[in-house]
Amino acid sequence: MKKTLIAAGIASMLSTTAMAENIGVSMALFDDNFLTVLRNGIQEMADGMDSVDVQIEDAQNDVARQLDQINNFVASGVDAIIVNPVDTSATQAMTDAAAAAGVPLVFVNRQPVNVDTLPDNQAFVASNEIESGTLETFEICKMLRAQGLGGGAKAYVMMGELSNQAAVQRTKDVEDILGTDMCNFIEVIDQQTANWSREQANSLMTNWLSSGEEFHAVIANNDEMALGAIQAMKSAGIDMADVVVGGVDATQDALAAMQAGDLDVTVFQNAAGQGSGALNAAIALANGEDVDQKVYIPFELVTPANIDGYMSAN
Amino acid sequence: MADQTSHGIGGLTFDKSKRAWPNEANVFIALILIILAFEALGQILPYMNGQSMLFDFNTSRDGTILNIARIKIVILQVSIIGIISLGVTQVIISGGIDLSSGPLVGAAAMIVMSFAQTELVNGQLNPKAVFGAWSFDLPVIVPILVGLAFGALIGSINGAFIAFTRIPPFIATLGMFLICRGISQWWTKGQPVSFPTEEFAAIGSGMMPVVWFALLAVLLGLVMKFTVYGKHTYAIGSNEDAARMSGINVKRHKVMVYMIASMFAAFAAIILSSKNLTAQAGMGQFYELYAIAMAVIGGVSLTGGRGSMIGTVLGAMVFGVIQSGFTFIKLDAFYQLMAMGSIIIGAVVLDQYRQQRATAG
Repeated sequence: MKKTLIAAGIASMLSTTAMAENIGVSMALFDDNFLTVLRNGIQEMADGMDSVDVQIEDAQNDVARQLDQINNFVASGVDAIIVNPVDTSATQAMTDAAAAAGVPLVFVNRQPVNVDTLPDNQAFVASNEIESGTLETFEICKMLRAQGLGGGAKAYVMMGELSNQAAVQRTKDVEDILGTDMCNFIEVIDQQTANWSREQANSLMTNWLSSGEEFHAVIANNDEMALGAIQAMKSAGIDMADVVVGGVDATQDALAAMQAGDLDVTVFQNAAGQGSGALNAAIALANGEDVDQKVYIPFELVTPANIDGYMSAN
Repeated sequence: MADQTSHGIGGLTFDKSKRAWPNEANVFIALILIILAFEALGQILPYMNGQSMLFDFNTSRDGTILNIARIKIVILQVSIIGIISLGVTQVIISGGIDLSSGPLVGAAAMIVMSFAQTELVNGQLNPKAVFGAWSFDLPVIVPILVGLAFGALIGSINGAFIAFTRIPPFIATLGMFLICRGISQWWTKGQPVSFPTEEFAAIGSGMMPVVWFALLAVLLGLVMKFTVYGKHTYAIGSNEDAARMSGINVKRHKVMVYMIASMFAAFAAIILSSKNLTAQAGMGQFYELYAIAMAVIGGVSLTGGRGSMIGTVLGAMVFGVIQSGFTFIKLDAFYQLMAMGSIIIGAVVLDQYRQQRATAG
């Protein structure tokens, strides 16, 4: 009883201060570069609007902590919640918690398992992960063909964290493309995880190089690992013109490497666009407006030919 | 060394005849056995086509029958954590533990890198310069000193709390673990910091991490063996009360031990960010645990008073061989983690068994 009184008191205080929409945001991880760009996209857009306050929390890659944060947001009476899920298979409980309290919920960047059964006041904003690995691998395949390796080429595949849906999907994209008639001349020598990390990718590539086996391409699930592989190959004295290296994310570091002629392919995922898209959806839902339940922000292929358009994008 | 290492738990001396050879010899033998195991797997596993891990009979590549590239990576990939492990080793010898080293690496890397950034990247202004565009690049000594000073600060806070408030080292450094993770994210609000000056990039390029690791291992090994600092560290770890009564300033010494450990971790951060040409808030994850594991595999006793830098270097080599070996036999990542965990537990069980046998009777 006491609690409800206090809550009611606070709620009335909040409603009298302004018409401001309070939006709670739970990010999977603050340490991740890409998610940081996404988070900044949300923050910057909110800063530019007088009537929107966001409170962003770090779930530290912990599913249980994230659910607690959502329940805390509900308890503090936010107008809408944005969740960047830690684990895409643990989203049903989050949907239920928000739905029970009637608070709108927007999932961003990672596709929840229950995406097809979301209640009316919940939505999902992301890019379609199938595009990223496909665009990357197909471009690498075309480049190898253009180099006259259509008779047979060898590649290493670097995977992200194995518990992560994007890593699993991008790796599957690689396999799917290499299974097509046009690209099945590429043989994968080995595929291993480097956990999205440049340092681990550097070690992994150096380990691979020590076998002395000939190869023509490195297909990485993200740019950081591609950059680690490039550093390892450069210190082994390999001419980067002889190897096709691809990543995903189009980070600043990756674009600089592409300008230097080291990285050949990357894929731009519009992080800031996803962040602002999620905030737009959350505000619209909070105002009771209708929103598309699946909003897809397209991936875009980046090569040395069109890099100039992306230099300040992320 | 013999004098110090022959102290058992609580400073009891034991019959030396029961220990046929020094601890480090056992670790060395284990290292050889693991290498042989991988060599054998290379021959036995059908998909390996009889490849060899350490030898390469295609002499045109390296000019020797050794696979030089593999031998290099075995050491290179553990050098940076190895440097942290050296610092942690002397903490463990003093009877303490340091859990804050991994996050400290992340925080120190972020701070160091922001002082090492270059003005121009590919002819354009550095897009991620923390302090905006410098009108000139700072000399390389600035980021190094900033990093070491940050390490010294964090370490002395660790040590001061442990020595003067007498809270357990586990708790003090666990708190610092979280504080440092926070610092590393707060410094740039999570943005990575990239593109250092060429001088800074040279610190950790190529095989330089190995050179630093070797230099620091020799330096700290000599310090632990021949100086008062080292003797006091062993004495405190063996029996703190006895050390105090014999006139050692235990509190001041503990602050020093933690300060040095954190400076080693900060130096590892300098090398790590230099090697990768970037600093990111998530860097150094699990490094504190791997650093402790390397020391433990190298025969450093978690109860304090026993262990050596040679042991820790060998422990790091075991790690490197296993990591390279797993990639060599193309083992999937899941099994790698399971096998790594089992090896750590196995090493400690063996060590306990040997200790009990040595101290019994």
